[in-house]
Amino acid sequence: MNHVAADFEIIARPNSSLSAKGRVRAVMIIAAISLAVAIAFSLIGAWFVLPFAGLELVGIGYAFYYIHCHSQDYESILIMGDQVSVEKKSYKVVSRMVFNRYWAKVLLRLMPSGDQMLLLRSHGKEIDFGRSFMTNDQRLELAKQLKERVGVVS
Amino acid sequence: MSSTTAAHHDEHHDHPTGIMRWLTTTNHKDIGTMYLTFSLIMFLVGGAMILAVRAELFQPGLQLMKPEFYNQLIGVHALVMIFAALMPAATGFANWMLPLQIGAPDMALPRLNNWGFWLLPPAAILLTLPFTLALFGIGDGAIATGWTFYAPLSIQGGMGVDFAIFSVHLLGVSSVLGSINVIVTILNMRAPGMTLMKMPMFAWAWLVTAFLLIATIPVLAGAVTMLLTDRHFGTHFFDAAGGGDPILFQHLFWFFGHPEVYIVLLPIWGFMPQILQTFSRKPMYGYKAQVVSLWAIGALALVVWAHHFFTVGMPVPALLYFMYSTMAISLPLAVLFFCWIATIWKGSLSFETPMLFATGWIVLFGIGGLTGLVLADVAADAQYHHSYFVVAHFHYTLFAGGMMGVMSGVYYWLPKMTGHMFNERLGKLHFWLTAISFNLTFIPQFFLGLAGMPRRIPDYALQFAEFNAISTVAAFVLGLSQLIFVYNIVSCARGGKKATDRVWEGAEGLEWTLPSPPPYHSFTEQPIVK
Repeated sequence: MNHVAADFEIIARPNSSLSAKGRVRAVMIIAAISLAVAIAFSLIGAWFVLPFAGLELVGIGYAFYYIHCHSQDYESILIMGDQVSVEKKSYKVVSRMVFNRYWAKVLLRLMPSGDQMLLLRSHGKEIDFGRSFMTNDQRLELAKQLKERVGVVS
Repeated sequence: MSSTTAAHHDEHHDHPTGIMRWLTTTNHKDIGTMYLTFSLIMFLVGGAMILAVRAELFQPGLQLMKPEFYNQLIGVHALVMIFAALMPAATGFANWMLPLQIGAPDMALPRLNNWGFWLLPPAAILLTLPFTLALFGIGDGAIATGWTFYAPLSIQGGMGVDFAIFSVHLLGVSSVLGSINVIVTILNMRAPGMTLMKMPMFAWAWLVTAFLLIATIPVLAGAVTMLLTDRHFGTHFFDAAGGGDPILFQHLFWFFGHPEVYIVLLPIWGFMPQILQTFSRKPMYGYKAQVVSLWAIGALALVVWAHHFFTVGMPVPALLYFMYSTMAISLPLAVLFFCWIATIWKGSLSFETPMLFATGWIVLFGIGGLTGLVLADVAADAQYHHSYFVVAHFHYTLFAGGMMGVMSGVYYWLPKMTGHMFNERLGKLHFWLTAISFNLTFIPQFFLGLAGMPRRIPDYALQFAEFNAISTVAAFVLGLSQLIFVYNIVSCARGGKKATDRVWEGAEGLEWTLPSPPPYHSFTEQPIVK
């Protein structure tokens, strides 16, 4: 993103306190303990332990793989010139929607949970923002900031 | 440019209401509440079973039930209390408090969390259903082998054993799913600034617990599956007549069974220092020493299992190894006890209900630990094994050390969870009735064990009559006093004096920075830990 020319930019991303290396290390430690136990019991005849340990490790591996895949997810809004660009990344899929800054509308829609959904809409296109990584209060605050910058002629 | 960080919590924006809320919820607080409610219900179910047992033991001779039914009650009582009462209570606290304490908006894998809970009710039904089926003439009742499933008795047992095996599988899957979630949540979702060595002790304790579950559940799953194939598919893993080894089952079971004690107790050792520091109004003593001790106990828990069956016949070097390694656990445990006592030492103490339970817990759990040392001695164990001494010992460990710890935690966090204060007078009454009747129930059992009364037998010699009568009357008082606990929880959930955010004057930690009760999504701003 061009930080220099942007009038406004916000990026929302999940908090991740474990590095990629840390994730690999955690899985390796768990696998080492679990497999050591399972192999030891298999060697004395209780081989039924091994497939259960294997299944368990598949579950653990997948859990860490899942959070690894989504650790780089983000949602961003970039306002630059007469364009408002909303970008979302989920795993490997990056989607982008561009609105005309002066035509776009910032909307809040009440969800059944009582929280507000933040939407940008223009010319029949609509996208929600901050649903995954922002709290309700953060979305409300962002909506306020966006309304000052979008849909108005400065 | 501005940026904001939060954890994934898009799973439950549009939460339904009514029954669907509870069936489909992925909210950590909802799931925590379900775990704790389930635990309370099963605590009452397991308690009712053992009161029937105590009623039978009130006098020598057989009064109320046949020995087969007595054995079923004993076994299912233990399985229910351990797997369906104590473990879900610890998991309930983890769900409620871990995200709040580490500054995460929810557990890392919320849908997995929901599945983990909803495996429990079917497991509990499987465990207890054979009782009902037997009333209609189907099968011969529930598992009657005790909670240990020992072969070859379990190979020869009725279909209650099969029900219990499938129940254990479901419980195991639930535990593993919970453990994966706890590990990923603690490691990956801590708030910025919350390094590992700044984590609350409860998070550390649960991390060790989750590792223990991951290491041992496959062994239990393998053991009961081998039992199942021995029963129905012609294998002879544990059948000596077919070349199998029944002792192998004991090794497999106790490789899981001994760490299971710590799986149940470690989470309590995690939150208890927090309760002690709150009501002592001074910082926790020896944080690092406690963390190291928790890991040391976790590691030792995996290598001491055979002390549960010293009397089965083992080579002397094996006996010595298991005796000394078991005794070695007392070292890190002594460090923990020292830290707990040092935390309250010269503190500005006040004895609200959670603190009453916490201090009572230190004393009574201490008795459980010390009597465990007696049983760790091979020579002494030869006398006490399979006696009521063992029963008294593990109830000091699991009821006083486990359930009374859970009660302390419930009273500590109930105002935070419900937003209302509980009835303090009833809480104190509950504590004193519980503590006194508990001791009156189990101290006589130490003497019965020392005098040679065997466990798991519904009849006994006349010489044991007085102690058994005292134990039974006290057990009923203990059981009935838990109704005060239930009433206090229910009335607190329904209303009462409004709780403040901090609830307790000396409370420290992120959970106390939130309103009582906390909002549906816990943190409206990412907390920064300094």
